[in-house]
Amino acid sequence: MIGGQAPGEFEGLPGGGSTPPTGDRGSKILAPLKAEGAGGVAIAVVSTVVVFGLIAFAVLTSSGWPAIKELFFDPTIFWDSLSKIMEKFSRNVFIFVVAEVFVLILALILAVMRSLRGPVFTPLRILAAAYTDLFRAVPTILVILLLGFGAPALQIKGVPHSDIFWAIVALVLVYSAYVAEVYRAGIQSVHPSQVASARALGLSRGKTMRFVVVPQAVRRVLPPLLNDFIGLQKDSALVGVLGYQEALRQAQITSAAEFDFTPYVALALVYIVITIPEARFVDWLVARDQRRRQAAGGV
Amino acid sequence: MRKVLSFLAVGSLLFAACAEDNPTIGGTGTTSTGGTGATAPATAADCAAANADAFLSPGTLTVGTGNPAFPPWWEGGTTDGSEFEFNDPALGEGYEGAVTAEVATRLGFSFPDQVAFVPVGFNKSFAPGDKDFDFVLQQISYKPERDDAVDFSDSYYNVNQALVSAQGTSVADATTIEELKEAKLGAPIGTTSLDVITEQIQPTQEPAVYDDLAQAVTDLQNGDIDGIVVDLPTAFFMAAVQIDKGVVVGQFGAESDEYFAMAFDTGSPLVECVNLALAEMTEDGTLDAIEEQWLADKTNAPVLD
Repeated sequence: MIGGQAPGEFEGLPGGGSTPPTGDRGSKILAPLKAEGAGGVAIAVVSTVVVFGLIAFAVLTSSGWPAIKELFFDPTIFWDSLSKIMEKFSRNVFIFVVAEVFVLILALILAVMRSLRGPVFTPLRILAAAYTDLFRAVPTILVILLLGFGAPALQIKGVPHSDIFWAIVALVLVYSAYVAEVYRAGIQSVHPSQVASARALGLSRGKTMRFVVVPQAVRRVLPPLLNDFIGLQKDSALVGVLGYQEALRQAQITSAAEFDFTPYVALALVYIVITIPEARFVDWLVARDQRRRQAAGGV
Repeated sequence: MRKVLSFLAVGSLLFAACAEDNPTIGGTGTTSTGGTGATAPATAADCAAANADAFLSPGTLTVGTGNPAFPPWWEGGTTDGSEFEFNDPALGEGYEGAVTAEVATRLGFSFPDQVAFVPVGFNKSFAPGDKDFDFVLQQISYKPERDDAVDFSDSYYNVNQALVSAQGTSVADATTIEELKEAKLGAPIGTTSLDVITEQIQPTQEPAVYDDLAQAVTDLQNGDIDGIVVDLPTAFFMAAVQIDKGVVVGQFGAESDEYFAMAFDTGSPLVECVNLALAEMTEDGTLDAIEEQWLADKTNAPVLD
């Protein structure tokens, strides 16, 4: 469910003293063709047509295809369900946008807590570590179920009962654990000499963190942050388990009413359409970051 | 929407309408498999014998149902070695259990020795591809728009939907649909119960739609919803067992034409055999006796209109 890579292992993240990568890292799918010339392009075209053609042929001639076509690609149901799904998808947008704001704040606090040096901060470090361990371990859907059905059952006065409230809380708890690790990787990637220089200039530990370390760390981890945002966006589909009618639940309702899986295809397309521009934006950020670091000759 | 179609078929026209939807119903003798000859099989047993190789594993009737197997549809409790929760379908108890046992016997299978039960999730019952059951029964309502994905048998239970709640909620004492307009209601996903909320009650608050009844009950007891719409026998079970201070508020649509049907792979010749068995059971009163035995105290509730 979680789309993010293991924090700290992010490819584009420069290690403290290691040399920055040189040359094209191959984030562009069609880039190798530039070097190959006309012959390479021809081979690429032929191999692509053959491979995709064979896959399409195998699918379209399979004995189950007519049934699949009817149950997954029914045009009438597609357009009927798409409008309903789009209407409910605005709720998913609300959920993941609001959750993301809180995730970015809470995760930064956690990452800074865990990066604090000095024996006096040990309890804070333990707390932050325990938090990230806990919420990275428990599946997101379980956190949503436990909070969504459990928290209102406490019957505490003033505690909201709304599904959407607890769903956002659950997503914030889970994703801030992931994002805290991303931030922490960024903080650790800032070279110790930066801290030493700042301290030598007379900045306090706090000011060093605030003005020197965190700004550089956040800039570096923008791509993995967006990666986790896409994961969060997808996991907003889990909120339906609370009975709340978001886009996936709407698709399930139509699917069960009509005995047809086309609404799932429609919803998948909605997610693809909004995610692809974001993925390309991440690619562009990575490329821009590479160019800048190369221009500056490393960190 | 297309639900309107199902309202056109009323009362005695019901079976005629089904026959139009499904050409294999009615014993007209035009089954697609060979062996039946020019004349239609007279009895369910003849039909099953003529289509012996149409069964998933010949010599055995393979029946799918939901797991857990909920009362009052399945009863008798669990048995060691059965993967089913709540009730073991192989006991043949509960309304659907007794119907399955009777249908199996009339098809010429000895129950429970020659009947195998497999757990089938709701979505799996209409997913395309090879089926791992001869038919599935788990309180699936016939709807014309569902007909593309599976073939349905005739009715094995004519069902009304009902509202179940807990004492002290805003709807517990309601006697009309009008009194439910302000309520926050819930229904399990994949049920026609949700249609009752959105089409008949049309409340101002959006209904909650749950994966299973346990979640709906939790939200009801938490005070997050005021009532749950389910089929009437299930409502009685929930009020008695699952809900603390549960009450069956009332049932909807005295003239409802909704019914539960078994679902088969499309084109299955066994639909006709099961329909013959169901027709025999209706004619000789067996179906009524099964209802009397398992659902007698679970169908009498005031009508909300």
